[in-house]
Amino acid sequence: MLAHGTNGMTMQTDPTELRLRGLMLASLDGDAAAYRTLLSELGRHLRPYFTRRLTPAFASHAEDLVQETLLAIHTRRMTYDRNRPFTAWLHAVAHHKFVDHVRRQSIRLTVPLEDDAPVFATDETGEATARRDLDAVLQSIPARTGDLIRRTRVGGESVAEAASVHGMSETAAKVSIHRGLKSLMARFAGGSQ
Amino acid sequence: MTDELIARLAADNTPVRPLALERRILLAAAAGLVASAALGFLLLDFLVERPFGGAYGSPMFWVKLGYTIAFGLLGLAAVPVLARPDGRVAWPLAAAAGLMVLALALGTMNWMMVDWSMPALMGATALVCPWLIVLTATPLLATLLAVMRRFAPRSPLIAGLAAGLVAGGFGAALYAFYCGETGMMFMAVWYSLGIALTAALGALLGRFLLRW
Repeated sequence: MLAHGTNGMTMQTDPTELRLRGLMLASLDGDAAAYRTLLSELGRHLRPYFTRRLTPAFASHAEDLVQETLLAIHTRRMTYDRNRPFTAWLHAVAHHKFVDHVRRQSIRLTVPLEDDAPVFATDETGEATARRDLDAVLQSIPARTGDLIRRTRVGGESVAEAASVHGMSETAAKVSIHRGLKSLMARFAGGSQ
Repeated sequence: MTDELIARLAADNTPVRPLALERRILLAAAAGLVASAALGFLLLDFLVERPFGGAYGSPMFWVKLGYTIAFGLLGLAAVPVLARPDGRVAWPLAAAAGLMVLALALGTMNWMMVDWSMPALMGATALVCPWLIVLTATPLLATLLAVMRRFAPRSPLIAGLAAGLVAGGFGAALYAFYCGETGMMFMAVWYSLGIALTAALGALLGRFLLRW
């Protein structure tokens, strides 16, 4: 109750809150133009919000998070209480998506990293370098194969997920990844030994 | 990519009525209550062969009805708040816990006065009572959880618990119509257990079903 009252006060003084809340209320009443303005403005607010919270190695996840959050704002907009501050609701959604994403990512990253230990065996500061090196290495094989390898071995996606992105069957994706890794091994592993 | 998504979402903007969330919860609760009442009738009247209105004449019937409905209403007060990403509320859950403690205290005093007699605690149906309450509550719980999947609870577990409290409370109220027990301690222990089990089931299911 006390928190409610305090929020109510910030609601009237903060211009950002006032504008965003006005846009949200118009959107809920079916104003498509207001909704589009709101979503693009939120996109601009959310991108730096997530980038600041991610370590540099995962900075590329910010855009995914922005999209996930915008989607959640859309599908869950019914849960916004018109009498409460909008920015508090927005922060709660963004925070939830961030926590969820990080948790999911860390669970997944531990699994495929085992296969890829040499690439990530470096300390954390080296991770960004490794990522750049990886990009350079993956340039030397067909783009689709490179993307499949990146998604499954680095991004933590399952083979099925990566395959569906490219509209191919899981088996075909497996074969493609295997061939790609084999040709990379032939080209790079031999030279360094 | 993101601009494309924004354009797509903006094109999909259907108006949302004020209190849309509350309306959905109440509608789901009403539909679930009807489903639970129907299941309760089939299950308790036909399968367990308990006549409707078993303890209707006794004042204890009204105590049981009031006790159980109180949990349902406390749950209904909590669900719309807990279904939101920025929602937090503790008093309905605290009040529900307090109510159980109060009932147990009154029940214990009552039980003491009858010299801790076992039949006063166990009645004739103690071992089936909690389970039948959970079963009766299941349709209501399922309906509530189904509609809550479109919400965005801050904690899916706590939101599920509140849904379980609604289902457990009203489920036990429905059960009271078929229950002939008149002991205060019986209600305090076995009805509370049935409601608590339903709430726990709701929390467990909510943890998985209400994730978003």
